[in-house]
Amino acid sequence: MAAKFLPTNQLASWLAELSGQYRTLVPRREGDAVVFRPFEEAFAPELGVRPTMSTKASVFPKCEPLMTFKYEKDEEDPGKVMVDVTERRDDAPAVVVGGRPCDVAGFFTFDRVYNTEKIKDLNYLARRENTFFVSLACEQPATTCFCNWVGGGPADTKGADVLMVPVSGGWLMEPVTDKGGELVASLEDGKAKEAEAQAVKDKANAAIGDAVDVSAAQDKLLALFDDAAFWEAQSSKCISCGTCTYLCPTCYCFNITDEKFGMEGVRMRTWDNCMSALFTMEASGHNPRPTKAHRLKNRVGHKFSYYPSLHDGNIACVGCGRCIKSCPVSVDIRAIVQNAIAAPAPEQEG
Amino acid sequence: MQYLDELKSKIKEKLPDLDVVIGWEQGFDPLRATPLFMRTEEDVDKLTWGPLCVHNLATYLTGLKGKKVGVVVKGCDSRSIIELLQEKLINREDITVFGLPCEGVISMKKVARAVGTLDYIEKVDVTTKGITVSAEGKDYDLPLTEVGADKCGRCQYHNALLSDVFIGDTIDDSAEDDYSDVTEFEAKPREERLNYWLAQMDRCLRCYACRNACPLCVCRDHCVAQSRDPHWMSQDDTVQSKWFFQMIHAMHLAGRCTECGECERSCPVGIPILLLRRKMNKQINELFDYKAGTKIDAKPPLMAFKVEEDNINERGW
Amino acid sequence: MSADAATELRIVGFLCNWCSYGGADTAGVGRFQQPTDLRIIRVPCSGRIDPLFVVKSLVNGADGVLVSGCHPRDCHYSEGNFYARRRLEALKSFLPILGIDERRFEYTWVSASEGQKWKTVVEKFTERIHELGPARKINAEMLAEAKAMFATV
Repeated sequence: MAAKFLPTNQLASWLAELSGQYRTLVPRREGDAVVFRPFEEAFAPELGVRPTMSTKASVFPKCEPLMTFKYEKDEEDPGKVMVDVTERRDDAPAVVVGGRPCDVAGFFTFDRVYNTEKIKDLNYLARRENTFFVSLACEQPATTCFCNWVGGGPADTKGADVLMVPVSGGWLMEPVTDKGGELVASLEDGKAKEAEAQAVKDKANAAIGDAVDVSAAQDKLLALFDDAAFWEAQSSKCISCGTCTYLCPTCYCFNITDEKFGMEGVRMRTWDNCMSALFTMEASGHNPRPTKAHRLKNRVGHKFSYYPSLHDGNIACVGCGRCIKSCPVSVDIRAIVQNAIAAPAPEQEG
Repeated sequence: MQYLDELKSKIKEKLPDLDVVIGWEQGFDPLRATPLFMRTEEDVDKLTWGPLCVHNLATYLTGLKGKKVGVVVKGCDSRSIIELLQEKLINREDITVFGLPCEGVISMKKVARAVGTLDYIEKVDVTTKGITVSAEGKDYDLPLTEVGADKCGRCQYHNALLSDVFIGDTIDDSAEDDYSDVTEFEAKPREERLNYWLAQMDRCLRCYACRNACPLCVCRDHCVAQSRDPHWMSQDDTVQSKWFFQMIHAMHLAGRCTECGECERSCPVGIPILLLRRKMNKQINELFDYKAGTKIDAKPPLMAFKVEEDNINERGW
Repeated sequence: MSADAATELRIVGFLCNWCSYGGADTAGVGRFQQPTDLRIIRVPCSGRIDPLFVVKSLVNGADGVLVSGCHPRDCHYSEGNFYARRRLEALKSFLPILGIDERRFEYTWVSASEGQKWKTVVEKFTERIHELGPARKINAEMLAEAKAMFATV
């Protein structure tokens, strides 16, 4: 498919055109943060800096109603209560513009869990199949970026429908899928900008440098599972908040609660995070992960060891670096993984 | 970096008697410091000190109860320790405080505004006036007066108010805090104030970094915000529940908040929540003539009363 | 004088069991006419009232909140209302920064024998809330307005 050119001054009109057909999410500056919001002409999209939030919520919202329910008492028999349940599913078509290649790649981590032979998460799939991505290539890696360690790249097209590459005067829009071709169909031809875009991509690929090999982490993290001293040292500064997981494009855990008001209520699914004590709290009151060391071990171990061992070696991390740069105390997951690899192997018992 | 060598040697001196000493080291880039937990002499060599040491390390103390802990504090951080001691949440004999005089710390948000993004920081030099940041081949001279944290501009407690080891020369000047930010905000029309909070709180993620970074949020894993019974908050992603959590935080910190600003600093989406804590402090000060974390033997005002209150007008109905 | 159903507002009252709830009862026994907007929640003592009861009511759509306990020095538990007074006063002075109208919240003291006073309190507070009108409900529409107001923030 032919690449198209989107001049800077036509960005708003193109987004407005998309908004006619799709729920169109774009990065918007709100205070000191950049978050994804439905496109509105009054708010110029922020495509200059990396968004604070990932694109995760477009397919996996912070909070979604799974069903609404209503109790009704039988007038004839007051002991009898009927419950009326309505399933809720959101399959409105959506386009997300301005996520980075790493953000978009994050959904593959979800797919391996929510779309399997045995398990199909229908609410997730309804949105996954109807959400399209126009991802924005990165020109330069941030100090927190490590997408190349985990199989990504600054101009990766995996999971994207269109790749948007910044060039002089606008963006080269390279369709990746048929749907992507449709999204950019109305734009002008971009042949003249192709060479420039290629140069931008080459430069970014060169700037990100050599990847660190983290494949050894899979076995090593497992070997360190019972090394309490190692995990206590690694987690000393963690304050056990949920910032890392909520900003993460691959963290897919959720909680389900019934919120009932009088005779009516909603069963909702909300993000949950393994940094919280309640995440593993059992009904008996026992908590298998009582300290932050247990919880941080789980976060790192899950991404770099337990998940890959279940899913053909695929690491559940896209290297976006949000958990590093937005962490209130700068916990660095790269350092923890490297420390684990470098740690002396614990002695085998028995 | 003044006093750093002296600080290091004092810590090394005390380290054999302590389980851990908490300070700062350089983090993932030259701008970002990160808390350092020193257990060996080699760890102490990583220690840094200066305007990049933004974290209030008193936050970790309640989690280390029962251990012998050393902690490096700035003036403002020492107030949190005093408050914790006053509420008997930590034991004085378990804590060794290394106090420093502090001329102010950097607000990362202000640096981000000045530089455009913090993604490409290459080098940071601490100067007498502030810092020089190099990013994408450009140098930015950023004086403390521009990029210092707001709390530092109104600092009345440059020197640690409590310390077992004090390093350096005390700083004498003390600014006034007239709470003008609070009064200015309150001068706006009510509708605007309400809308401001709704617009801000809408992007809250409920990550609870504000709570977990707070040295005085001591309930930790037992916060009412996550309790299902009593069911204070719904899990629903509505602006009122997220806003309501900030009210819970403000009420639970009434008369206890030392304004270290960790709540606001740690918010990943930059919600200016310190303003709410400051408002509560302003009122507590006006009503009960009380500032949290300044006197070790004082009683928190909401845990006490006077039969005839000095500043409460009984309403004649 | 009961307000007609269409204009009735939602006022939540937190009353201490020993004085104000008794006072309200005395007003009832005396057959004093009172507005019917108030919904009473009985608590053991004004000291039991977490200021968050008040805030939660206001945030979730109450048009007014009234707290009433024993007069200072008359607390059934000796000092519950002294603590309550400090908390409620701190809360009342905190509300303006939130943009919540502080006039929608009031606290007062009414003893079990003061049926007439209770009637006056309810009348005056209800009248005040009616003057302020119904509180705006925080919903999607209101949020959109708020966002538009700070479009440039």
